[in-house]
Amino acid sequence: MIRLIDVEKTYFSDAGNIHALKPTTITVNPGEIFGVIGLSGAGKSTLVRCINLLGKPTGGQVFVDGAELTAMNDNELRKARQSIGMIFQHFNLLASRTVYSNIAFPLEIQGMSKSEIEKRVRPLLELVQLEDRAKYHPSQLSGGQKQRVGIARALASNPKVLLCDEATSALDPQTTRSILDLLKDINKKMNLTIMLITHQIEVVKIICDRVAVIENGVIVEEGSIVDVFTNPQHATTQEFARSTASADLVKLVRSLNLSATYKEGSKPVVRLSFFGDSVSKPVVSGMVKRFDVDVSIMYGNTEQLKDTPYGTLIVQISGDREGIRKALEYLQAQKLQTEVIGYEC
Amino acid sequence: MSADMIDLLIKSFFETCYMVFASTILATLIGIPLGVILTVTRKDHILPNTGINSILGAIINATRSTPFIILMVAIIPLTRFIVGSSIGTTAAIVPLTISAAPFIARIIESSLLEIDHGVIEAAQSMGARPLQIITKVLLPESLHSIVLGITLAIISLIGYSAMAGALGGGGLGDLAIRYGYQRFQMDVMITTVIVLIIMVQCMQSLGNMLSKKLNKNKLL
Repeated sequence: MIRLIDVEKTYFSDAGNIHALKPTTITVNPGEIFGVIGLSGAGKSTLVRCINLLGKPTGGQVFVDGAELTAMNDNELRKARQSIGMIFQHFNLLASRTVYSNIAFPLEIQGMSKSEIEKRVRPLLELVQLEDRAKYHPSQLSGGQKQRVGIARALASNPKVLLCDEATSALDPQTTRSILDLLKDINKKMNLTIMLITHQIEVVKIICDRVAVIENGVIVEEGSIVDVFTNPQHATTQEFARSTASADLVKLVRSLNLSATYKEGSKPVVRLSFFGDSVSKPVVSGMVKRFDVDVSIMYGNTEQLKDTPYGTLIVQISGDREGIRKALEYLQAQKLQTEVIGYEC
Repeated sequence: MSADMIDLLIKSFFETCYMVFASTILATLIGIPLGVILTVTRKDHILPNTGINSILGAIINATRSTPFIILMVAIIPLTRFIVGSSIGTTAAIVPLTISAAPFIARIIESSLLEIDHGVIEAAQSMGARPLQIITKVLLPESLHSIVLGITLAIISLIGYSAMAGALGGGGLGDLAIRYGYQRFQMDVMITTVIVLIIMVQCMQSLGNMLSKKLNKNKLL
């Protein structure tokens, strides 16, 4: 649905040129929620603005719904933008207009008649649960309500794609959750493709199907959220993943003074990561029953990656050499990730 | 004060009103497009054009830095061409308009620049044309601030109209100079000044009220 090919962006200024986005290639599939996560200044806002050409890329091609935006003239581009909705961190509503006429705004631009506009806006007000606020001005609304207006406005022209530029960064956790639920809901109901950028790892975990991690204008890692967060490759991704899977886990493991090799009588410390179906399988008790080993649980945590449950367990296995070897073999044969962190003497 | 004097005062009051309001309306009609052009042609705005922006800026600055009394005399040929005469209340409207238009243009510019760039960006992301951004975003969003600016312009025009009066334009300023100052009629002088003060007060209150009503950027 969205395809960026070698898109790059340099800001030219007297103080020096900033290569904010290095040549980047991304494909977002139809109906997917794709997240781009990065710290501030990583180039994610630049990236999302390249998609609807609010910030014209200095190189590369942008395709949305099969049409090449980078090859269009101004008029064609304006037309194409009508099928790309966008919501913003600071909502960017028109203060002088009511909720109703803010949502009507994109339709007015397209020259739609008053009665047609009414037919479109009413159901949208209902969708975002603001029917009773139609005559209010944005200044009379809470942050979450403002973003709901932003969403309704972005959906008014029946877009195929919705771009979210830090859409929840100015909201409290609870409101963030309700906005994300709304986005998830419209993604399903309307089969809307959503691309969102954020610095909040929670957002990606709750809503995204796939994620790309951006740093210094380069996508350093990309994949399904389960892959990226259960097995992060790049340091930045590990940092993001760790910030949720709790920092105490790292501290705990470090405090153990593990040795890297097995010696007679030492106990392996193993990290087990479960996701999807394997969460509900009795892997640990199965191991204890089959082999002559004892297991003590040192750390346990479960969370949710969009619709996939994901659990982490750190266990220490004690027993004789043969028992431990077989137990580890058994674990590795299961549908889960097993990592021997080290051996405690 | 004699009845004649009061008649004269009323007549002068209406002359001032006529000069001020006619020139405000004309100057606003000229000032709004100029102010819009000044804003949108800035290099970080929707229709960047450094050439137009700096030429227009220079003309506006030149007009604004010419003292009003000099400007009034200097454009007498233009005034005569437009109105047919260079003296009289109607003739005074020409220099008043020409001196107020650039002022209003700058006021409009600073009002439009107050608008958050994000709002303009949002309109662009929906595929709005530049003209639609001007008429549906820039002007309505800054209307309350423009109203305050025009109030300011009206008040300075009340002051300028007194100067125009000195050159045969009539009005309260003319009355104050000819009767109050040159004939030492203190009562006329004081009455005129009081009327002017009340006019300014009323205009300012009216402007504040209207602007407050138009400003939706607050809770109540």
